[in-house]
Amino acid sequence: MGVFTPLITAFDLPFMARALLVLVVLSLVAGLVGVLVNLRGLEFISDGLTHAVFPGVAIGFVWGGRDGLFVGAMVAALIAAVVLTVIVKRAVTSDAAIAIVFTAMFSVGIIVVSRETDYVGQLDALLFGRLLTVGPAEVNQTVVVCLIALVMVGFTLKEQVFLAFDHEGAAAAGYRPLLLDIVLNVAIALVVVAASSAVGNLLVLAVLIVPGAVARLVTNRLWLLFPVASGFAALAAWVGLTLGYEASVNGGVDLPSGATVVLVLVAGYVLALVVRLALERIGGPRRPGRTVPVEH
Amino acid sequence: MASFAYGADPTLTGIDFTVLPGQAVALIGPNGSGKSTLLKGVLGLITRTSGTIEVLGQWPAPAGYIGYVPQTDQLDPHFPISLEQVVMMGRYRSLGWWRMPTKADRRAVAEALETVSLGDRAKTRFGELSGGQQQRGLLARAVASAPRLLLLDEPFNGLDQVNRDALIETVKRLKKQGVAVLVSTHDLDLARAVCECVLLLNGAQVAFGPRDAVLTLANVQQAFGSVGVEMDEHTIVVPGHGGH
Repeated sequence: MGVFTPLITAFDLPFMARALLVLVVLSLVAGLVGVLVNLRGLEFISDGLTHAVFPGVAIGFVWGGRDGLFVGAMVAALIAAVVLTVIVKRAVTSDAAIAIVFTAMFSVGIIVVSRETDYVGQLDALLFGRLLTVGPAEVNQTVVVCLIALVMVGFTLKEQVFLAFDHEGAAAAGYRPLLLDIVLNVAIALVVVAASSAVGNLLVLAVLIVPGAVARLVTNRLWLLFPVASGFAALAAWVGLTLGYEASVNGGVDLPSGATVVLVLVAGYVLALVVRLALERIGGPRRPGRTVPVEH
Repeated sequence: MASFAYGADPTLTGIDFTVLPGQAVALIGPNGSGKSTLLKGVLGLITRTSGTIEVLGQWPAPAGYIGYVPQTDQLDPHFPISLEQVVMMGRYRSLGWWRMPTKADRRAVAEALETVSLGDRAKTRFGELSGGQQQRGLLARAVASAPRLLLLDEPFNGLDQVNRDALIETVKRLKKQGVAVLVSTHDLDLARAVCECVLLLNGAQVAFGPRDAVLTLANVQQAFGSVGVEMDEHTIVVPGHGGH
């Protein structure tokens, strides 16, 4: 019992409970969106979006403090997601286009923040998050942003999967890929916004990508991917927060909570990978991921 | 006469043909002659630079009335999805956003799988099926959508005799139900088995009409761009390209 007690008791503290609530809500949505990112191979675009949202976060913060942060980020996210979708559609070399536009935007964000007096402190918070100082108002904002993303993706989930599996087939069936792309990219951008103030802009990508990748390792059953990714992310958030708290309070090591959560996510991925490889070795070629043509 | 393009310059010109309910038209031509381009043009996936096109008397084509069977090599074999789930995609359009499949949808999927003789593989992951079974699976997806026009892109590629026969039988059955079929192929067996008409292509329309009237040696040589082209009952033989 003793070892696991902090998993409950750590969250008696209001700021810990708020951090957990934010991360669990974020995990549920990031898991869902993350599986689609994985199935569509949108990891690089997601990376671009995290950069693109940054100037919005920065400008919003400079103008309106922590309340303005969300508004600025939302505006930047919407613009970035739509612009990105169109660029990728038009550009021949989409990777270069994304890299150029969004590193430029990231620089704009840093310049904006550098005008502030407490430059280093602010930048640090925006890049690495401030999970433990999330206030009640921010909890509400995060929940609302996550809910919007959830509805957008939930409403189009089976169509998004269709598009991921067979782009032309979906278009032939009468779906408009550009519209579905915009919906998904806006949802990704919203997750980036929601996660930015919690785990920080630099670590958002892990929240978006690792749960989906873990789900792919754990199961080959399509509709199981989504709950597995969400559940794994929530579990990692819980364990990560507890670890960070324990290390700081009882261990005397001051672990940044956002980064600790991300490390637990990654550790979970490594564990899933090792178990999967071991099972493949024991179980032979029938493990998930291998193809075995069977004629009849 | 219609022309189609991926960018600014038309890649396929002079297209003028009709496919009627219960009939099939074979698109025949060498690689790069515009067979897939024409299918994509009919689907509205690429730009039409001139001319008119109507599908079921309308344009754009009414959503959900076209069944499309792409080439299986365009699909990711590692995608975590079962055959049954792929076929269910054929029902999405009629289901609408947000809604979950109903019993009627599941029944339609099961029936479509039976039609292509893959009822026992419903739960198998799509990527684990053989190429021929994947092709039949995609045909089942089209069948499940109850199309009025069926487009098949090189459906015989890499198929063994069992799968070819199963595919031909299914297409014949759909035609009997009044489905119009447009199939790109370089396989004369398929053309002879199911197609009333042939459209010969080589970047432009070479000929269109009843199968035997179009498939003359002179026409085929014009389409394949070589006087060395030969033709027998089953194949078009292009020198230097092996048996096509």
